[in-house]
Amino acid sequence: MTIHNLYIFSKNGTLLYYAEWNRLHKSGITKGEEAKLMYGMLFSIKSFVSKISPLDPKEGFLYYKTTKYTLHYLETPSGLKFVLNTDNITQNARELLQQLYKEVYLEYVVKNPLCQLNEPIQSELFKLKVDELFKKSPLFLGRSI
Amino acid sequence: MRQQIDTKINSHISGEADECLFEYLHAEMVNYVLDKSYKTKEGEEELSRLEWMGFSVGYRIIERLTREWNRFKDELDMIKFICTDFWTSLYHKQIDNLRTNHHGVYVLQDNSFRLLEKVGTNSNKQYLQESPRLLTFTCGLLRGSLANLGIISTVNAEISTLPSCKFHVQVQRI
Repeated sequence: MTIHNLYIFSKNGTLLYYAEWNRLHKSGITKGEEAKLMYGMLFSIKSFVSKISPLDPKEGFLYYKTTKYTLHYLETPSGLKFVLNTDNITQNARELLQQLYKEVYLEYVVKNPLCQLNEPIQSELFKLKVDELFKKSPLFLGRSI
Repeated sequence: MRQQIDTKINSHISGEADECLFEYLHAEMVNYVLDKSYKTKEGEEELSRLEWMGFSVGYRIIERLTREWNRFKDELDMIKFICTDFWTSLYHKQIDNLRTNHHGVYVLQDNSFRLLEKVGTNSNKQYLQESPRLLTFTCGLLRGSLANLGIISTVNAEISTLPSCKFHVQVQRI
């Protein structure tokens, strides 16, 4: 199980935070462009899913899967978007994102009076805690079965 | 973990306001005062209003916190009260270290000050510049409480590594 990379977007699409752990293939464009591309795609998928769904889409878009990786998506009621790429056998990545939101984002960004909300996160302590959370998570182990 | 936090809050003597309410309000107060004040030369921040707010709050808090206490024996006794009960009811922990020269100078050290906890750890120097503004209110708080106990003092704060800080209390003898 492997975690590849993580994006956090604000409600209006600013890339607040990006981190990567095991990313073997680079996109070849700058991080800013990549983030815009990513956000655009997510935005489209979201509206696609809500339009095309034959039933009431309660939670909407949750994840997608390719042959190589899975993208997990978590959007909070306030519009914050957490995006995590993992391999295909990883489960419970959503819980991990919830945990990231509750235990790291809320604690070290919202409760830090020196952090501006809706701007890229600069806090070193936040970065440290994200890394800690992911590295101690059982999903992180780079052991492929 | 959550359980632990909950019991800690419940067992707490004064639950007058939820803790994050205070944290957010404090942050906004700091921003407000910074916004209103003119920067002096050298870009130093003018925070005396914030200190004054702290003073008034401290002055009032002492009335309430000491209602079940007898009179204090001496100055050291009062400072000890500040370090233990007073600090616990405001910041959920005691002062970690108290030092004095027995001539009116007290140094109160908190190794994990609540208002700095979420800002940084000792391994990074980020925000060290901005952090002192988060202590001004507490300086006033200390000064106000001591004033109501009959000690006129000046209080300064010092941060060397986050999230620990030291408050220097200098008693003024008349």
